[in-house]
Amino acid sequence: MAVTGADPRLAAEQAGSPSRLRALVSDPAKAWNTFAIPLIVLIALAALYQYLGGVELTSREAARLNQPELILRARQHVVLSVQIAAWVIAIAVPLGIMLTRPWAKRLTPIFVGIANAGQAIPSIGLLTILAIAIGVGQRGAVIGVTAYCILPVLRNTLVGIQQVDDSIIEAGRGMGMTRQAVLWRIEMPLAVPIVLAGVRTALILAVGTITLGALVGAGTLGVIINSGVVGFSNPVLITGAVLTASVALLIDWVAGIAETVLRPKGL
Amino acid sequence: MDAMIRLDALTKRYPGQEELAVDNVDMEILPGEIVVLVGPSGCGKTTTLKMINRIIEPTSGRIILEGEDVTDVNPDRLRRRIGYVIQQVGLFPHQTIASNVATVPKLLGWGKERITARVDELLEMVSLEPRIYRDRYPKELSGGQRQRVGVARAMAADPPVMLMDEPFGAIDPITRDRLQNEFLRLQEEIQKTIVFVTHDIDEAIKMGDRIAIFGDNHRIQQFATPEAILSQPANEFVDDFTGTGASLKRLNLVRVRDVDLGEWPTAISSVRREDALAQLDEVDQAFLLLVDSNRRPVRWVSRRDLSRADWNQHVGLPVRAQVPLNATLSDALDEMLTSSVGVAIVVDDGGAYRGIVDIDTVMTAVNTLRAETRERVAVAAWHAPAGAVEEGGA
Repeated sequence: MAVTGADPRLAAEQAGSPSRLRALVSDPAKAWNTFAIPLIVLIALAALYQYLGGVELTSREAARLNQPELILRARQHVVLSVQIAAWVIAIAVPLGIMLTRPWAKRLTPIFVGIANAGQAIPSIGLLTILAIAIGVGQRGAVIGVTAYCILPVLRNTLVGIQQVDDSIIEAGRGMGMTRQAVLWRIEMPLAVPIVLAGVRTALILAVGTITLGALVGAGTLGVIINSGVVGFSNPVLITGAVLTASVALLIDWVAGIAETVLRPKGL
Repeated sequence: MDAMIRLDALTKRYPGQEELAVDNVDMEILPGEIVVLVGPSGCGKTTTLKMINRIIEPTSGRIILEGEDVTDVNPDRLRRRIGYVIQQVGLFPHQTIASNVATVPKLLGWGKERITARVDELLEMVSLEPRIYRDRYPKELSGGQRQRVGVARAMAADPPVMLMDEPFGAIDPITRDRLQNEFLRLQEEIQKTIVFVTHDIDEAIKMGDRIAIFGDNHRIQQFATPEAILSQPANEFVDDFTGTGASLKRLNLVRVRDVDLGEWPTAISSVRREDALAQLDEVDQAFLLLVDSNRRPVRWVSRRDLSRADWNQHVGLPVRAQVPLNATLSDALDEMLTSSVGVAIVVDDGGAYRGIVDIDTVMTAVNTLRAETRERVAVAAWHAPAGAVEEGGA
């Protein structure tokens, strides 16, 4: 009964499962899903290039819209975003794990409250306060945006661990696994997909919010947008906006792929 | 024979609750026997089971395993000596079947080759071809297959004792029956000491060498062989618990085609009125069943119907209570109770009359079943370990 009941689809999936990256491009529909975003970004950038080629730039605009400047700002943008994501993971994941332990459960509302406040305070205000407190520059921007992005990862870590079925934990404990073993070998792997979804959200928040870093001397593509606004220059403004959106889309795309690849098998 | 497990005045009181969840349970469980804990919801049977491997810590009392007091030893190490199967199985969804089964051997630090060999052996033992199932994930298995993996996982390190908490409770009746039979066959080979929780007295009678019936007062009402419990219930509670519900449930196990159907006088619906009346007089019944030319039941007619001046093809009671041959006796009983004549008509696949089920049919079947159960119980008692046949304390 068991043998004939085997699902050929599952068998096929197993036979070809060494690389889930390969699965992302295995058939045309999936490949389209996988590569739609980079394609859109590419088209947007080409359109931007086309547009800039057709407008007469003032000397001031030309000072902003040159390759070294754009690359510098884009790089600042990506580096700071990734830095922030790293800080967020380093703080929110361990905190989330701690708050699911029996001895710390009572503290959960306090920390979730703080994280909520971090997100509720307007980020521009938070960045300004930090700039005043610790001086202008990248450090204040990273701290401010990190505070702003903690909540999704913290909340998803909590939910990810709490949603693990009690019977699975009971089975593990009942076989003599220690609490630590249950945490590391059962709860954490099973929470991974939800935690990753939180990280992705945080990353998107970070990419968007760090543009405000331009106002406190942290650079980023926000500088381009800002000078476009200040100088009433459409070409500069549009360039800044398109580049920021492109970076955001690409980072989200990478995070999405990471989510698929890092999800434990069997879920 | 020395007890494998001894529970000594085991008691549990949950914090903040006045009532005891388990009240002073004493038990001696012998090596190689299956002891079933059975009782209504909230009677303490599951709590008692979970105190044996200290998933739930007892409030007072002692647990003695193989002569060693394990009430205060390291619970993680204790649990590696005891197999544990739960209703929801609790397989780790992100691990392969092989990896799931290997959980305890890995905890015990076995070598890789020894683990692989043991996993294959176990999968074969529970009738899952290792080559096919070893590398699958739990979601790719049916409920019955998952429960087999659960049993294999519990036996992985060959523990002398297994605790099973309603292991077949979430499985469809047909698969459950097959798993129960397989498990009993397996037990003949492995001879584990098993504590088994269920709320189903039929399952208890089928699986248990001895049965402990828990009552609403969170104490054991009777601890004895199934035979003793059926023939000499210790008190009214036990009698109630084994009696009524159990007999009714057993009706589900019997198909209409397997019992001797009753006969009922029938006539073709075009029958002449005088002939029909004559037939009724002859058989001394109140109703005659009219069937069409294909012998499909159409109407019930009484003597009064047949005597009516306006007699025609439509006088009489329409036929409602019909059951197919593969219906259970329980279905038939249900139909019978709604029937105006007090019988369920049995029809074949083509809808043709085959016979009837009435209350006598049901009673005969129940008596036969009871006799069969007694016989089976007697045989089981014969095979039970020495000492197990003696009555336990109540």
